[in-house]
Amino acid sequence: MTAATPTEAPEPRGAAARRLFRLAARHPGVVPVGAVVLAVLIGAAIIAAAGLDPITAYSAVLQGALEPDSLDYTFSVWGFTCGMALAAAIPLRMGEFNLGGNGQLVLGGLAATVVAGALPGPLAVPLAVLAAAVLAAAFGAVSAPLATRFKIPIIISTLLLSPIAVAVVSFLVRFPLAEAGSGVAQTARLPEDARMWSIGDLSYSNVGLLILVAMMAVFWIVDSRTAVGFELRVVGANRRFGAYGGVVVGRLALGAMAAAGAAAGIVGAVIVLSSPYRLIDGALLSPGYTFAGFAAALLAGGRPLLIPVTSVLFAVLQVGGAAMERTADVPRQLSDLLQGVVIIVLALRTVLDAGRTGRSEH
Amino acid sequence: MTDAAAELRGISKRFDAVVANDGVDLVLRRGTIHAVMGENGAGKSTLMSILFGLLRPDSGQILVGGVERHFRGPLDAIAAGLGMVHQHFRLFDSMTVAENVVYGAEPRRRGRLDRTAAAERVRELSDRYGLDTDPDSVVGTLSAGARQRVEILKALHRDAEILILDEPTAVLTPVEVDSLFAVLRRAADEGATVVLVTHKIHEVLAISDEVTVLRDARVTGRFRTAEATGSALVQSMTGREVTEVANAGTGEPGDEALQVTGLTVVDRGVHRVRDVSFTVRRGEIVGVAGVSGNGQREVVAAILGTGSAESGEIRLLGRDVASLDVRRRRAIGLAVVPEDRRGEGMAVTMTTAENLALGHHRTAPIGASRGWRRGWLSLRAQRDMARRLIADYDVRTSGERQPVGALSGGNAQKVVIARELSHRAPVLIAEQPTQGVDIGAIESIHQRLLDYRRDGGAVLLVSHEIAELQALADRVLVMFAGRIVAEYSRADATTARIGAAMAGTGESSRSEGGAS
Repeated sequence: MTAATPTEAPEPRGAAARRLFRLAARHPGVVPVGAVVLAVLIGAAIIAAAGLDPITAYSAVLQGALEPDSLDYTFSVWGFTCGMALAAAIPLRMGEFNLGGNGQLVLGGLAATVVAGALPGPLAVPLAVLAAAVLAAAFGAVSAPLATRFKIPIIISTLLLSPIAVAVVSFLVRFPLAEAGSGVAQTARLPEDARMWSIGDLSYSNVGLLILVAMMAVFWIVDSRTAVGFELRVVGANRRFGAYGGVVVGRLALGAMAAAGAAAGIVGAVIVLSSPYRLIDGALLSPGYTFAGFAAALLAGGRPLLIPVTSVLFAVLQVGGAAMERTADVPRQLSDLLQGVVIIVLALRTVLDAGRTGRSEH
Repeated sequence: MTDAAAELRGISKRFDAVVANDGVDLVLRRGTIHAVMGENGAGKSTLMSILFGLLRPDSGQILVGGVERHFRGPLDAIAAGLGMVHQHFRLFDSMTVAENVVYGAEPRRRGRLDRTAAAERVRELSDRYGLDTDPDSVVGTLSAGARQRVEILKALHRDAEILILDEPTAVLTPVEVDSLFAVLRRAADEGATVVLVTHKIHEVLAISDEVTVLRDARVTGRFRTAEATGSALVQSMTGREVTEVANAGTGEPGDEALQVTGLTVVDRGVHRVRDVSFTVRRGEIVGVAGVSGNGQREVVAAILGTGSAESGEIRLLGRDVASLDVRRRRAIGLAVVPEDRRGEGMAVTMTTAENLALGHHRTAPIGASRGWRRGWLSLRAQRDMARRLIADYDVRTSGERQPVGALSGGNAQKVVIARELSHRAPVLIAEQPTQGVDIGAIESIHQRLLDYRRDGGAVLLVSHEIAELQALADRVLVMFAGRIVAEYSRADATTARIGAAMAGTGESSRSEGGAS
C-alpha cells in the first residue's frame, strides 16, 4: 500500500483494478476453488520434487477415473462419498461437526448384514437398509443429548464414540459373526435375494446408489423449503439468534445427528449389500469415504447443491489415485495428501475470517 | 492558523461503493473541546480513525502542529501527540490501574518495570486532572466510569495533546458524565485539545466549545457552541426539523399482561438479579432505567426463556411460563427486541428476508393459508412480508436478499424492530430499541412504540437513555446492582432522580421489592 495520495488526482493508476480484485476476492466461491487449486499446485510441487512429472501423474488420475471402463466404479465411489458427505453436511448446516462417520458407517454395515442374513426373502434388502439407518441414526443421535445435557461438544463425543463402535463391530465380525472355516475376518456371504438390486449389467453401481442420490435430493428440499431446514440454517448462522427466535436447539441437534447417522448407516448398508456381499473387517473404512465425504462437505460449506459437485473431485482422486500409482509410479498417498491440503486451506480461511472480524470491530 | 493543534484538509475515504468521508475539513484549536457530531453512518468514526492513524485517507492532508503527517498506524499518531479513548475499553482486567496505564510506555529501572514510578506517575496525572483514580486497584473491579478514566490516563501518560473520545458517555451514569466533563474541561484548560465524538445534542451544548456536524460524509455545519441552538444542530445533522414524540399519558391501562414476582438470577455464584418484582399491564409502557450490566439483560433473558432463573415466578397473560421453552412463550404472546443486536437479534450472513422470517416461519403466511402445509416454508410469503416491512420501516437495503450484515447498524436495528413488532404479540420487550439509529428513525420507532401501547400492547422498555424513558414510559423502574431500587410515575421521573437512582445513590422510593 502507498501513503495517502494527494488531492484531486482522479484515480491513482491501478486503483480501479485493485478494487475490482478486492471485490472479486470476496466472492464466496474464491476460497473453495482456491483451496483446490492450491492443493493441486502443492501436489505438483511434491511430485516434481520426487523427480516425476506432475502432468503425467495428474493425467493418469483423470484417465484412471474417467475412462469409460472405470466410470461404473467411479460412479459408485462418488455415491459413497456423497453419502458420507451428507453425514457431515447435515450437522454442519447447524454449525456442528460430525466426526463419528466411521462408527455410524460400520454400525450400518453391521445392522444390514445381520438383518439381511437373518431374514432372506423379497423384503430383505429394504429391511436391511432400514435397520442400518435406524441403528446408525440412534448411535449418531446419542451425541445430541450429551451436548444438550452434559455440555460435551458434538465434535468431541462423535470423535470419541466412533472408535468404540468400530472396535465392537470389528470384534463381532472376527468372532461371533465370523464365517466358519474362513481364515479372513469376515461374515458369510449373503444369500442371493439379500443383495442390492443391480442396474442393468453394471457391476459396481446399483440401486443403492440411487438411494444415496435420492437422499441428497431430500436434503436439498428439506434445507431450502421446510421450516426445519430454515431453523437448521438459522442456528448454523447464529446459534443465539436461533435460540432467541424460539428454535429448540437441542431437539434440532437430535434430529440432525440422527439424520447424519442414518445417511452414514445407509452407505454402510449399500456397501455390504453390494459385491462381495459380506461384511469384511476394515473393508468399510479402508477406502476412506468418511474423510473424503467430510472434506467434500466442508468444501461445499454444507450446501446441498454443491455436495455432488465437490464429491466428484474426491471420487476422482480416490479412483484415479490407484491408477496413478500403476501407470505413473506415483504413490496413491498423494491423493490423501491433496485432500489434506484442501482441508487445511479451508480451516485457514476460518481462522483468517475470525482474525479479520476481530480487527474490524474497533 | 497558529492555534490549530491539528487540522484535517479535504479528507476523503471510500469503502468500495460507500463514501464515508467526502472532502472533510476539520480544524481543532488548541485548548478547546471540539464536538464532532452526526448521525450513525455520517462518517464520524471513519474521520476519527483517519486522524488516529487507524485508516488511511484516499485523499486529503493531516496536519498536526502545523506539520503534514502520514500516519502508518496508531503508533505514529500516538508519537505525534494523539490519544484515543475507544468506546469499548481496551484494558487488562486482571492488572492494576498503574500497570494498565504505563503498558507499552513503562518507566523502567534496570530493565524491569518500576512499579513505584508507575504508581507515582498515575497519582500525579490523576491529581493534575482531577481523575480521582487509585493506581493500585485492579481494573476488573472498577465501574465503567472508572475504567474510562484509566483509558484517559493511558493517553495522558503518553503525553497526548489531542485527546479523542469516541461516544464516551454511552456507558456512564449521569453523575459520571458530569465528572467526565469536569475532567475534560480541566484538560482543555491545561492546554490539551479534546475531540468529542457524539450524537447527543445536550452533551454537545453542555461541554463543547466548537462543533463540526457531519451528514452523509460531508461537513454540514460548523458552530461555536455559544452561538448554537439544539434545533440548529438537529437541522444540520438531519437536514430537516425533527419533532419529538411523547407519551400523552392518555388511556387507562388494562389487565396485567406480564407479571414478574421475586425473580432472582444467579450466574456462576454471582447474584445478577435479586428479588425483582414488577408488572406490565396492557396499554402501558413500563421503562427500566439503569446503567448496562445491572441485571436488565438477565431479567429479559429470564422472561424470554433464554436464561435461567434461580427463583421467582413469571406470568405471561396469566400463565406461569416456568416450564415453557422460548417457542411456547413466544406463542403465548411475547416479542423481544434484544440489546445485543448482532449477537442475538440477527444472523448477519443470512438475507434480510430470512432475518425477518424467523419466528414467522412456522405459522401460516397471511393470504397464503390455502396451499400452505405445516412445516413447509412459503418463500413467496417470506419475500412479500420482507418487502412490505422493508418499505414500512424504511430499511435502506439493496433488496430483501441482501445479507443483513451488510446493512448499517441503524438499518439492521430497523430489521429487528420490524420483525418483532410484526408479531403483534401482547407483550413486547424492547431493549435499547433506538441504539445506533438516526434521529429521524428514532422518532418513528418511538411513535411505533406508542402506537403499540395505544393498541393495547404491554411494553417493557429497557433503555440507557433517560430522555427516551421520560418521553415514552408511563412508569420508570430503576435497576441497580440487580435490584429495582426505585420506581417513578411519569410525573416524578426527573432526570436528577433517575440519575441518582441509577448510580445507586438515590433515596429508596419503592415500598415493595425495593432495596432490602
